[in-house]
Amino acid sequence: MTNVYVMEKIPEKIIIPLKQHDGCLCTPLVSKGDMVAMGQKIGECECYDSASIHSSVCGEVISIEEAANPNGTKVNSVIIQPTEDVECVDFTPVKDVSASKLVDVIKDAGIVEHYGTPTHKVLKPEGKQIDTVLINATSSEWIGGHYDTSAQYAFQMIGALKLLMKAAGASKGAVVLRNDDLESISAFDHLRVDGKLLTVAPLMGKRKLSYYFKDQGSDIIVVSQERIYGQKILDLLTYNLTGRRVSFCCDPTDVGVAICGVKSAKALYDAVHEGRPYIETVVSVSGKVNSPKKILVKIGTPFKDVIDACGGYMGDTGKLIANGAVTGVAQYTDDVPVTKMTTSITVLSADEVIRDVSIDCTHCARCVDVCPVDLIPSRITAFADQGRFDECRQMNILNCVECGRCSAVCPSKIHLLQLIRYAKNSIENAYEDLSSKESPANLKLGCGCSGGN
Amino acid sequence: MTFTISAPPHKKENITFKKIMWAKVLALMPVVLLSVYLFGLPAIGLVAASIFAAIATEAAIQKAFGQKITIADGHAVLIGLMVAMIIPPEVPLWIPMIGTVFAVGIGKHAFGGIGSYIFNPVLAAWIFLSLAWGSIMAPASYPQTSVLFELVLENGAGVMAGVSPFFILLAGAVLIFRRYIEWRIPVAFFVTTVLLAFLLGDSLSYVVLGVVVFGVLFIATDTSTSPTTKNGRVIYGIVCGVLVVVYGHFANYVDGTFYGLFLANCVASLIDNNTLPASYGTETFLQRKYRSIVSKMPFKDRLEVFLDD
Repeated sequence: MTNVYVMEKIPEKIIIPLKQHDGCLCTPLVSKGDMVAMGQKIGECECYDSASIHSSVCGEVISIEEAANPNGTKVNSVIIQPTEDVECVDFTPVKDVSASKLVDVIKDAGIVEHYGTPTHKVLKPEGKQIDTVLINATSSEWIGGHYDTSAQYAFQMIGALKLLMKAAGASKGAVVLRNDDLESISAFDHLRVDGKLLTVAPLMGKRKLSYYFKDQGSDIIVVSQERIYGQKILDLLTYNLTGRRVSFCCDPTDVGVAICGVKSAKALYDAVHEGRPYIETVVSVSGKVNSPKKILVKIGTPFKDVIDACGGYMGDTGKLIANGAVTGVAQYTDDVPVTKMTTSITVLSADEVIRDVSIDCTHCARCVDVCPVDLIPSRITAFADQGRFDECRQMNILNCVECGRCSAVCPSKIHLLQLIRYAKNSIENAYEDLSSKESPANLKLGCGCSGGN
Repeated sequence: MTFTISAPPHKKENITFKKIMWAKVLALMPVVLLSVYLFGLPAIGLVAASIFAAIATEAAIQKAFGQKITIADGHAVLIGLMVAMIIPPEVPLWIPMIGTVFAVGIGKHAFGGIGSYIFNPVLAAWIFLSLAWGSIMAPASYPQTSVLFELVLENGAGVMAGVSPFFILLAGAVLIFRRYIEWRIPVAFFVTTVLLAFLLGDSLSYVVLGVVVFGVLFIATDTSTSPTTKNGRVIYGIVCGVLVVVYGHFANYVDGTFYGLFLANCVASLIDNNTLPASYGTETFLQRKYRSIVSKMPFKDRLEVFLDD
């Protein structure tokens, strides 16, 4: 079981961005000079696709200004100077709430998926019906340590899954584990849910979740599959698990699947059973720091303080990366705060910084061999480089999960991931104002999602 | 404190084009040494002249066109070495020099340099030389593997590539194991050749030759002239095998290898365009097994890229 350390030291200042999700900016509820308590709501969401922001410490608001954000931009943030005495909002557990109320609880607790979408929007998307809720635990190693025992972890996960299903009004739910994560698998194995014994079923061959639901005769199941990772894995995960293909411009909710992370499931469980909003998160710190570890920090803690808590930088520091060395964003300053979307911090030394020069593609097909979604990255990249985005689309570029493996193995050091992202963004931008384009005409150019199955 | 910012990924495998090329050159060295033993010192002169001409041509062309001079990446050296290995060692020294000038100048740079040429420069040079100076280019003898030891040292070899099927196979196997060359083409090619030759009644002693193995492992796997898709590479290997056997059956397997591969180069991009995978592909049982085996292979250059995200 991985140990998770709790960051004891309160940093000098806490930077809480008013936008920690994909969506619109929250309006601040406090102004300069106000005293805030821990857990107090400081940002109110006005539209449906945003989530509330809470203060993670008790202190004085010293300013509300544009501050650096780990995604590379600047975001309006509330900057709080913590005080000595800790004043905390009374957390009231919400028991036995109705499904519609539960969505409001999620929204008020400010729960956001690590990929950016607010959880309530994943569960109750406007105009769509969710029938299956998945908790994706394939990339979460830290979770064991957040609980006293692994049985507690399994128990709470199932509890959270039930809550998620209730909130979404979904009839079926599954927890997805990783094949080689034996600790979690043994935690879930032989767990009793509603009187039924759970067995972790590895996904085999072409069998999809529907088979396992029927096989186990249960609406809640636990399955395991191979590790997949990347920035945009949701479509692939949906296809792997349910066999439903997500069309262009759509997300898994269009085919009736809601995918949640372990972190948000845990946050929901806490929100319901303890009344605690989403103000703490576990970050794994790795690379060239003196004592790499997984650490529980308050949201808004600057990276600098997190790294100090891990023993400080080791030697010459070259790069500071949020969210993983393969697909993460390199930071230009360590004054950026940990947000709800931050999962890890990686520090690279100066001589680990890659300074390769790209040469021509030699068609060695190494990228083809590693691609998890069977693309031809070399060819797509050549098209993207020439701006031939339609051809990229014909070659299924939108299936790309942005895992970065093609770039990592390229002997010619071509920036494949960057070029693929460029093409994907260009394609998405071209379709952004699609509805306004198509409305006066009789043509229907929609994406053709049938809403499930 | 200052930090470098750049686009992801921030960790890459420690593999470069240069490394692959020099690894191939190194892998061919045992065979070169064996041929020096067999053919005497002229073999060294042949290799030296050939490599020198290749490097000089590459440098001259890149200088003349104001490009970055890339002789250090080893590609020109590899072309020079491979051309020297497939021409008879008794030829006058100007033959390999003209051959490599043609290979690098026309075969490689006229088509646009690395990654862009459609015919393997080594094959192009061999065919050019054979057509222009047929009598000089005819090897002194065509080998036949009659006893098992000739797999290691082939006394009847006519060219340097033919001296030792075993050592070329070993070199290729090491390169495949290190994933410097890929395995689909060689396997499909070799299986097809042996199977077809057997069906046509050709004695395997004429088929399992150093030159054929050299063609399978070093010429057919040249990345620019072979397809990139997974299925395409298997089909390409089969096409190579069929063409080589067709030539070999009616003439001999030494010339057949080169002509067959040259023709196969012509259809490589056709195969590539027609085997593009479908959305999410569809993985068969064998492909899944292959991936699980490969993931267990030790690979020095693989960083822990895939393991920590």
